[in-house]
Amino acid sequence: MTAISNKGGGGVGKAIYRVLGSIPTGVLWFLVIVWSIPTFGLAVNSFRGRDAQRNAGWWNVFSDEGGPTLNNYEEVLTSSSTNSILESLANSFAIAIPATIIPIAIAAFAAYAFAWIDFKGREWLFIATVSLLAVPLQVALIPLLQLYSGGAHLTLPWIDKTLTLIPDFGLAGSSAAIWLTHTGFGLPFAIFLLHNYITSLPKDVFESARLDGADHFTIFWRIVLPLSVPVLAAFAIFQFLWTWNDFLIANTMAGSNPEARPTTIAIANLAGDYGRNEHLLGAGAFVQAFFPLVVFFSLQRYFVRGLLAGSVKG
Amino acid sequence: MKNTWLRLLAALFSLALVASACGSDSPVDDAVEAVDEAADEVVEEVTGDDDEEAMEEEAMEEEEAPEEEAMEEEDKPVVTVTGPERDESEAGAIQEVLGAFGEANGIEVTYTGDADWEANINVQVEGNNPPNLSIFPQPGKLADFARAGNVVPLADNVVDGMAWSEAWTVFGNVDGTQYGAPVKADLKSLVWYKPAAFEANGYEVPTTFDDFVALTGTMIADGNTPLCVGIESGQATGWTYTDWVEDMVLRQHGADVYDQWVAHDIPFNDPQIVESMQTVLDLWATDGMVFSSGGSIAATAFQDNGQPLVDGDCMMHRQASFYSAFIPEGTAFADGSEDAVDVFYFPDLNGDAPVLGAGTLVAAFDDNEATMMVAEYMAGAEYAEARQKAQTALKGGGLSGFLSAAEGQDPSVYAPLEQSFLQILQSAAIVRFDASDLMPADVGAGTFWSEGTSAVNGDQDAAEAAEKIEASWPS
Repeated sequence: MTAISNKGGGGVGKAIYRVLGSIPTGVLWFLVIVWSIPTFGLAVNSFRGRDAQRNAGWWNVFSDEGGPTLNNYEEVLTSSSTNSILESLANSFAIAIPATIIPIAIAAFAAYAFAWIDFKGREWLFIATVSLLAVPLQVALIPLLQLYSGGAHLTLPWIDKTLTLIPDFGLAGSSAAIWLTHTGFGLPFAIFLLHNYITSLPKDVFESARLDGADHFTIFWRIVLPLSVPVLAAFAIFQFLWTWNDFLIANTMAGSNPEARPTTIAIANLAGDYGRNEHLLGAGAFVQAFFPLVVFFSLQRYFVRGLLAGSVKG
Repeated sequence: MKNTWLRLLAALFSLALVASACGSDSPVDDAVEAVDEAADEVVEEVTGDDDEEAMEEEAMEEEEAPEEEAMEEEDKPVVTVTGPERDESEAGAIQEVLGAFGEANGIEVTYTGDADWEANINVQVEGNNPPNLSIFPQPGKLADFARAGNVVPLADNVVDGMAWSEAWTVFGNVDGTQYGAPVKADLKSLVWYKPAAFEANGYEVPTTFDDFVALTGTMIADGNTPLCVGIESGQATGWTYTDWVEDMVLRQHGADVYDQWVAHDIPFNDPQIVESMQTVLDLWATDGMVFSSGGSIAATAFQDNGQPLVDGDCMMHRQASFYSAFIPEGTAFADGSEDAVDVFYFPDLNGDAPVLGAGTLVAAFDDNEATMMVAEYMAGAEYAEARQKAQTALKGGGLSGFLSAAEGQDPSVYAPLEQSFLQILQSAAIVRFDASDLMPADVGAGTFWSEGTSAVNGDQDAAEAAEKIEASWPS
């Protein structure tokens, strides 16, 4: 009796379990669809003309006069030299690639030092670095711009002499100003993420390397870097997407120089006065989003692995 | 041990604080330096090619840059101009015209259009990195900058070279000194209509405001909808209503009351202002008066009134000269064809023909000779003509969307419809700048819009709205 009821209960339980088990999947699919609808609508709209977009929502795409059109993309891609999106794409690369590589390079060295080199004040320095995560970058924008466009000077009141602490490099309006800013604000997180991963590497590896006579640089170059590829790639994706999509820093540091403008600014300018060219925004957004998608999908297999980096320390 | 480190950190911190505090103790010198540097920067960017690697390398090896090349370029003064006009045809035309002027005069001129101009010009000034010239869309902002000493008075050659009438140059005059020169005009007192539809129904273009009201009555009686109105514009929802109110204040109470209203010499809820606000509300609330494609006035985007006008869902639409950009593609303008769209002057009450306008002013952040030369050129009629030609070409014919009230332009460079704009602009004795652009931002870009919108929705009457707006006026 008990056996049978157990058996039956098991069957019902399994069925219930299966139904319940599919709920999260169903909810997830629902969220995915709801979440994607605006993007999908934007994609559809990017193939519709100005008047079609003005007069009816994107779901009317099949009843549009003349059907879908590539005119928006043509207009976006062939715009004049002052706002050329192709030129701004080159600028975006010139900003995003160095702004990704520089912080990774510095952070990898720093994280290794914090993790495996025993020096005085290591903990305090690490805490100071990580607590910089809490500094909102907005508060530093104008002081930084002043630094880039004038350097930093210290006037000693009692001898009335001005010392130049940081000379004026004339960086305002250049891509270099944007790299430096992104580097500065990317470093705390980069060091934190890489440090947690690198400390979790097995100690034995380092000890045996030591025994074989490897110095810190050799260990870093030959052992730590190859083992850290997942976390480096994960951070690279993060940083690349963030710098590629950044409007605020680029606009503040290089907004006055059309030669250094990235796509985000070029697209903001596409709409024109009173939004008279709003119909181009969808096409512009998809041109801009194309490259991050390539980066993401080519590096995505590292993504989850890298994010979990250091979170489950043995 | 830890204490030593703490002390060291504290020392570093305080040093950094002192340095940053002292960094900007002479803003004027810094600003001048910054301009020079910004100029050098542009030269460097221009000499390098666009190849990203080259840019990277160049920035890295700045010191090793080929000096001869840099020297040659440095002899040529550089003038950077920024402004809010940024779409392809506008920014392209400005760059083309100023570039050509610069080339003829040995100046390197760069124009940068900026979607976020209003915020960025503040940041650039704060950061000691202002452009040489900037185009201000609001006289109020220019006055703020002038009083703060951020912009310099225009040199005599610029003031003498202004080809604009007193009615316009006064917007660039701050406390008796000319800081800005007008470079572009928008005409707001316009009504768009289809001449063919008027003819078919036997309507005449009204010449007085009473005629206008009577005409709307006839249209309703005939079963036509007189007006298309939509005031939705994202965060700026309501500005169309404020334009109507401003036009009504000018018509009902004259330019003096308008000036007092803008300067807050009379309160916002003065009975005269409330009367004008209520006139617009009553007109719109009349049964059968308004067609709104979005269901209600406040839910209809201001850009969405072009299609119904062309389709005949409404007979008239009061909107500024730039509205040609929202008339559906393929529509002809004022060429006598059947589907053509034309404009008439939003009629006045007592024959004084006041015009509500808007426009932009160029102002300088330094008084270098080259800077002032470019400003002088921009304030003249030659610039207006050249820009009109360039912008029409970039638009591929038709309407350029650019308008200037500079005197001495050859009207033939404008399309027929734009020539009628010019006529209205140049014959106007009373020109007043859009009041909401002149009032403090809390009101002009805040409560005037939001309380106005709620009055249009019928949530309150004009007196209540005006009272709330008055209460929000910064003291």
